[in-house]
Amino acid sequence: MTSAAVSCSPGRRVDSLPPRHRESTTSAAEDRAATSAGLGIAEVAAMLGGLIRQGRPLPLVLTTMCQLFDATVKGFSSIVLVLDRTGARVRNAAGPSLPTGYMKQLEGRRVSWIETASGATINGKTPVIVLDPVSDNLPESQKSTAAAASALRLHEVSPILSLTGEPLGIFAVYQHDGNHNVTRCHSALIQQFTQLASAAIERMRSERRAALLERTQQLSSTWCFSWHVETDEISCSREFCQLFGLDPADVPVTLELIGARIHSEDLPPFHEMIETAQSGVSDFEFELRLRLPDNSIKYLRVVAHRTRDQEGQLEYIGAVQDVTQRRRTEEALATLRAELAQAARVTSLGVLTAAIAHEVNQPLAGIVTNASTCRRMLAVNPPDVEGARETTRRTIRDAERASEIIKRVRALFCKKGATSESLDLNDVTREVVALALSELERNEVIVRTELAGELPPVQADRIQLQQVILNLVLNASDAMNGVDDRPRQLLIRTERDEEDRVRLSVRDTGVGFEPQGVDRLFNAFYTTKINGMGIGLSVSRSIIESHKGRLWATPNDDSGATFSFSVPCGPRHVSNGVTGAQRLGARVSAVTSAEERPMRSP
Amino acid sequence: MMVKRPLVSVVDDDESVRESLPDLVREFGYSVRAFSSAEEFLASDSLGETRCLILDIAMPGMTGPALQQELTVRGRSIPIIFITAQADEAGRLRSLEQGAVACLLKPFSDMALFEALNVAFRAH
Repeated sequence: MTSAAVSCSPGRRVDSLPPRHRESTTSAAEDRAATSAGLGIAEVAAMLGGLIRQGRPLPLVLTTMCQLFDATVKGFSSIVLVLDRTGARVRNAAGPSLPTGYMKQLEGRRVSWIETASGATINGKTPVIVLDPVSDNLPESQKSTAAAASALRLHEVSPILSLTGEPLGIFAVYQHDGNHNVTRCHSALIQQFTQLASAAIERMRSERRAALLERTQQLSSTWCFSWHVETDEISCSREFCQLFGLDPADVPVTLELIGARIHSEDLPPFHEMIETAQSGVSDFEFELRLRLPDNSIKYLRVVAHRTRDQEGQLEYIGAVQDVTQRRRTEEALATLRAELAQAARVTSLGVLTAAIAHEVNQPLAGIVTNASTCRRMLAVNPPDVEGARETTRRTIRDAERASEIIKRVRALFCKKGATSESLDLNDVTREVVALALSELERNEVIVRTELAGELPPVQADRIQLQQVILNLVLNASDAMNGVDDRPRQLLIRTERDEEDRVRLSVRDTGVGFEPQGVDRLFNAFYTTKINGMGIGLSVSRSIIESHKGRLWATPNDDSGATFSFSVPCGPRHVSNGVTGAQRLGARVSAVTSAEERPMRSP
Repeated sequence: MMVKRPLVSVVDDDESVRESLPDLVREFGYSVRAFSSAEEFLASDSLGETRCLILDIAMPGMTGPALQQELTVRGRSIPIIFITAQADEAGRLRSLEQGAVACLLKPFSDMALFEALNVAFRAH
């Protein structure tokens, strides 16, 4: 784009014309005499004004304007250029009397503004530009049209300004017949037209702004409103009404009408918010739910800014956004997280299944053996009834033991809330070691425990703590997979921690981790295992934190890492009825009968 | 004069097994003693007398295979019948390679145990 502005040659300046700032005081006769169409300025202006008011498209208005001018002022042709927002480029050009080729190439041209030597500007502030078909730098292809246009001489240029003095466009007049002169009333016409063009362009811009607002509101599901506090009236769009399930015909929209749509649970906070707002103290912002007539629920977010309207009365302007989709996504995410946490418990399933099978097979083996013995005892002559009775007793006891294991396993995997009891962390640790033993042995891990004597009890959910310790133990074992140059040692230690807490640490001699990578370990989806879900640590941490504890990891000085958690001590006594440990398996040294052992309800 | 029945020692940390197995083995005609750990067995005076060992594989502390190793080191060749609750094929194979008479998976039938004991005593 070449610049269209150029310094003007003095001969072309407006000095030769009557100054435009003078009021147009033409007589009606003079007026009519100068026009060929027989229309007075007033009538022409009225016609154009009508077009603008009717909301006719801008190009039509401007073209009509030029046509009227060209018909009115003999020997002259006009063009109107509409500028873009920056005022630096021509956006549209209307010029019915000029060659189309010339008009076309004006569009998109850069416009620059220069100060004039003489102060012949409209309001003294805005400089004037000059366009000249002859002196303009045109590309070769357009020189022919320029040649045609060069029969025209630029006569006059008027900037079209907004009410605030912004450049909106340019009204330019060319002379094609030197026999005529511009009269005073013609100048008045130019002035009128410039003002009309300004109105038309401003209208177009504000319409465009409104359309943009409308579109963005739609895009973001956000709808603007204003609330006149005194009269309780709400100004809003049709879509706003539709958002609330109101009929746009139900004017005026009031708070009461809106209140009828609000979810009953959210009404009290809503009323509170409104009361605060009515005192005009500050801006407000809140979220609430709607319950629409069809019983559907919508989530809305409201933001409002306190202001004064033109009469100085308290008014809030704001926006309402439909965030239903976002809330639903968040809810779905929360559900998914809960399910993942559940899955984390199930992740250990492979290992757990082996452990369970192992545990269940013990009493089963007992049953088979006892029954076999029973049969043999009854087969001899005379039958060993006492022995048979004894084996039968053991059989029943083993069967109940197996049933107990299944119950415990069910309890592990059912989705129930956390229950809290007073636990000895050492007992829980021993249970977990029993559970994981076969897996650890298979991985050739040497387990050592250093469990502090006199460890104060902690108030916690047994199953959850088991899960956490099992997670740490299995992680440690996995970390030592493939370690061949040193023994695979797992050390579990419990001890008192300062300030009335109990700490458990699991130390391994595995691959360890980099200190800066520690946060990543606890990330919900981080995993180094091929089949791992990597959720264990993240869930473990939240379990510990829900017990008001802390879970952390540090790399060891030599090799591997130590994962530790500490939880606050609970009440002094361990709850009665639980003799030391409730075991998942049957690896107890003392036999207790089924009646003595308390049953945990699943 | 009563023929002294050969001693079979059962080593298993599981209580059910320690309760039930000796009675069955006695029905087969042996005398039986039960131990809850390999260490306990090694420390006992039954070590010299035992003609056959029924040994659990997975135990806390010294495992079954470890006891098997230890006995080899000590020059004691006692026939071993392994019993296990875990279907670990690799482990099973290993223990058989190390000279075990049999490796039975819990729960095993009385006949399976009977046959294993026959093999153990026939070989010796």
